[in-house]
Amino acid sequence: MNKPIPVFLDGDPGHDDAMAWMLAQASPLLDIRGVSSVCGNQTIEKTTWNARQVMTLLGIRAPLAQGRQGPLAAGPMPAPGIHGESGLDGPALPEPAVETVDLPACELMARVLAESPEPVTLVPTGPLTNVAALLLAHPELKSRIAGISLMGGGVTRGNWTPAAEFNILVDPEAAGLVFRSGVPITMAGLDVTEQALVLPEDFARIRALGNPVAEVVAGWLEFFYGFHRSIGYAGAPVHDAVAVAALIAPELFQMEEMYVAVETAGDYCRGTTVGDRYHLTGRAPNARVLLGLDRAGFVQLLTDAVASYGEGTA
Amino acid sequence: MSTEKRPVILDCDPGIDDAVAILLAARAPELDLRAVTAVAGNVDLEHTSRNARRVLTLAGVEAPVCAGAAGPLFGPTVTAGEVHGADGLLGLPVPEPAFPLSPEPAWDALYREARAWDGALEVVATGPLTNLGVALAKYADLPRYLRRIVLMGGATAFGNTTPAAEFNIYADPEAAGMVFRSGIPVVMCGLDVTHRAYLTHADIDRVEALGTPQARFAADTMRCGVAQHERFLVPGAPMHDPCAMLYALEPALFTTLRCWVGVECHGTITRGRTVTDAYSDAKREPNTELVTDVDREPFVDALTARLAVYSG
Repeated sequence: MNKPIPVFLDGDPGHDDAMAWMLAQASPLLDIRGVSSVCGNQTIEKTTWNARQVMTLLGIRAPLAQGRQGPLAAGPMPAPGIHGESGLDGPALPEPAVETVDLPACELMARVLAESPEPVTLVPTGPLTNVAALLLAHPELKSRIAGISLMGGGVTRGNWTPAAEFNILVDPEAAGLVFRSGVPITMAGLDVTEQALVLPEDFARIRALGNPVAEVVAGWLEFFYGFHRSIGYAGAPVHDAVAVAALIAPELFQMEEMYVAVETAGDYCRGTTVGDRYHLTGRAPNARVLLGLDRAGFVQLLTDAVASYGEGTA
Repeated sequence: MSTEKRPVILDCDPGIDDAVAILLAARAPELDLRAVTAVAGNVDLEHTSRNARRVLTLAGVEAPVCAGAAGPLFGPTVTAGEVHGADGLLGLPVPEPAFPLSPEPAWDALYREARAWDGALEVVATGPLTNLGVALAKYADLPRYLRRIVLMGGATAFGNTTPAAEFNIYADPEAAGMVFRSGIPVVMCGLDVTHRAYLTHADIDRVEALGTPQARFAADTMRCGVAQHERFLVPGAPMHDPCAMLYALEPALFTTLRCWVGVECHGTITRGRTVTDAYSDAKREPNTELVTDVDREPFVDALTARLAVYSG
């Protein structure tokens, strides 16, 4: 087997962040070198607390750092309607056995990048605040970043506004900086993540695996589906897990390379990721944009990951 | 009987695909083409107002042609001469106008006809929406007298002029915004559908085989369209403007979705984008019938059949 890919997880858990981390921790293809929380779905205090609980549940032993209080140039925009007041409502989670290191998120990222013999892949599944802070504070480490596999944006649609996806909308300035950075980007935007549906019948299959992670993941899916069912979804779109799946099972996806830019102004378009699919700007592609996936294969990947957490007792 | 026909005004910037839309409208048995109003767009107003008359002359139909705006309400003038040729009709052999321009400005003709038909008039708009913008600015009660506007413009995803914007909307975003906010029922045929409403070389051969000057002209414009749209990943010549006209004539060929559409007039890279709430969770109050798809082969058949009337 090849050496695992070193990764740094940066998210705002969040049900789908937690499932992304579950998938990453389960995969022998990935080696988690560090984790950071970001202010997104909820306040930084809440997402950090949730990160500690999730890492405890999953057994992630990498160092955790707390991210910035809020976006680089805008105010926080919590989403209690989607993820609940805690940011990760639903099943009970263990008391955190994980502490944060005494470093800002961008400094922990810098340390991991500097200490790693191989370049590290960043996997941001929240607003791009911490990644942008890293690029601003440590331009010399850019070459130590192997790539960024992110959940955010959409070249064909928005969700929080008609034009913009939540993660990019929360910190468009940071996102713009990341897309302009020259670091190779794999973009799991709404174009693909809205197709990454885990259906109610899949919840039952996951719960039936019977290990403690399975019970919690099934509960997360049920909670997360609640909001989405109310607006007409057939299942729970596990957006953030796609950014991890793209690393470990790229064969599940259709993708196109294109130049992607982020709108930071406008009456309606702040936070829109604009994809130059037809090469109108003359700019070289800066992102591999995921546009389609094998849904059944994706759900199987998630299910197998949950199964790897242990034999059932149910 | 003309009184049983639906009154329509075609507002356009011919333009090769506008020209095909004119050919479709001029002899459509169910339409009473009250006027063709010209606007600057693909090429300048002098050419578009002349080309409208040249194509009507080719069609053998004398409908009033009114000139409208020579440029957008605000912002710089954008043209597409590289697509349509310096004269707007690719230099193809089209007769000179057999009749003069109407002295009436486009917006006055739009309003006068709208009032005269008392709510029955529909507008098919296949250029920048400047003429309607001026009409809405001048006549506050215009919305109550228009049945609907079927327009070619915009895109829910990728633009063709900038990554974010389609040409007709990009050329006058403020006017387009006025139209979408007007309360007039709007049907939007954007690139989402027009890129699916294409003719392959074999389809174009069928049009050409009709053998009339009108069909040969249409086929010539389509041949150029094929090459121009390779970069847009379209396997043929998309019928941008004819799509709007055919929607007005045969809506059953199309799939639509009711949703909100707004036009971005600011933004650093998104000016002229049609922001559509087709798929987001925001669920804004719908103002538009968004045309999302077309049944391509019956569409091609219908287009070909409607050009075949010139053989009779």
